Amino acid sequence: MPHATALLVSLVLLSALLVALLAFRPSVTTTQGGKMFAFVVLFLLPLLCMAMGVNSEVERSKSTQFCLSCHIMEPYGHSLRVDDPNYLAAAHYQNHRVPAESACYTCHTNYAMFGSVRAKLHGLRHVYIQYFGNAQPPLHLYDAYNNRECLHCHLGARSFEEGAVHNADPDLLAAVKSNQTSCISSGCHDTVHNTSQLNKTKFWKGVP
Amino acid sequence: MTAEDKLHRRLRLAGTLLAGGLLTEAICLLWARPLAFIVLVGLGGLLVTAGIATYLYSLVSVRHPAGSSDAIQLKP
Repeated sequence: MPHATALLVSLVLLSALLVALLAFRPSVTTTQGGKMFAFVVLFLLPLLCMAMGVNSEVERSKSTQFCLSCHIMEPYGHSLRVDDPNYLAAAHYQNHRVPAESACYTCHTNYAMFGSVRAKLHGLRHVYIQYFGNAQPPLHLYDAYNNRECLHCHLGARSFEEGAVHNADPDLLAAVKSNQTSCISSGCHDTVHNTSQLNKTKFWKGVP
Repeated sequence: MTAEDKLHRRLRLAGTLLAGGLLTEAICLLWARPLAFIVLVGLGGLLVTAGIATYLYSLVSVRHPAGSSDAIQLKP
């Protein structure tokens, strides 16, 4: 368990203990000091604990481990370890082009305004479908993958702006930047997770 | 039932709800599964909100007898 989570759980349990103390002995609130103690224990501490708890859960939900904890996502986790640089997700994960500990979130969040909120709402829908729906592989994105998510990192990078293939057609870069030509579904970077091909590939055994 | 008894009863209820909400939160933080987030917000958040609301209501709902140290003294 990470230290931050351990500290937060300790704070929550201490708060619960103080709250229980007040619930058993409400007579302590008859004094001025007791009233202030009750305000801190019954109002400020629970608010603080809940805010920190929700923040902690939201941060945890960005982790690769969290995304892959659902059974249906296991093949996507395996695809990050494919030993083939043509696999887009694997190449990004293994070469730290995205943070390995939040690889799924980094590529699948939405870098527009309220993108994180949309990503979390999609996450809630995932949880609902996991427990009450009937999700079957292969999984599909809710919307077509937007180049904006790629350009969040690659825009302005030398390898992207001056790459030979990107500049072979003078109109290509402009089309990519305006999302008219998709990075991943126009035949250029179309090997992404390809989970149906995983039984034919070798896997990297290193630590990202 | 005196005003003080009413206040104490509501504080007990607020404390029980808050303790339940905080214990739910602690379990969810240790659980580390996708469902934990739903339980934390849905159940823990509901209990904590209800506890805080009960506490705040207890502060404004109990009438103190005139002349007691907690009663608001209005000057003519």
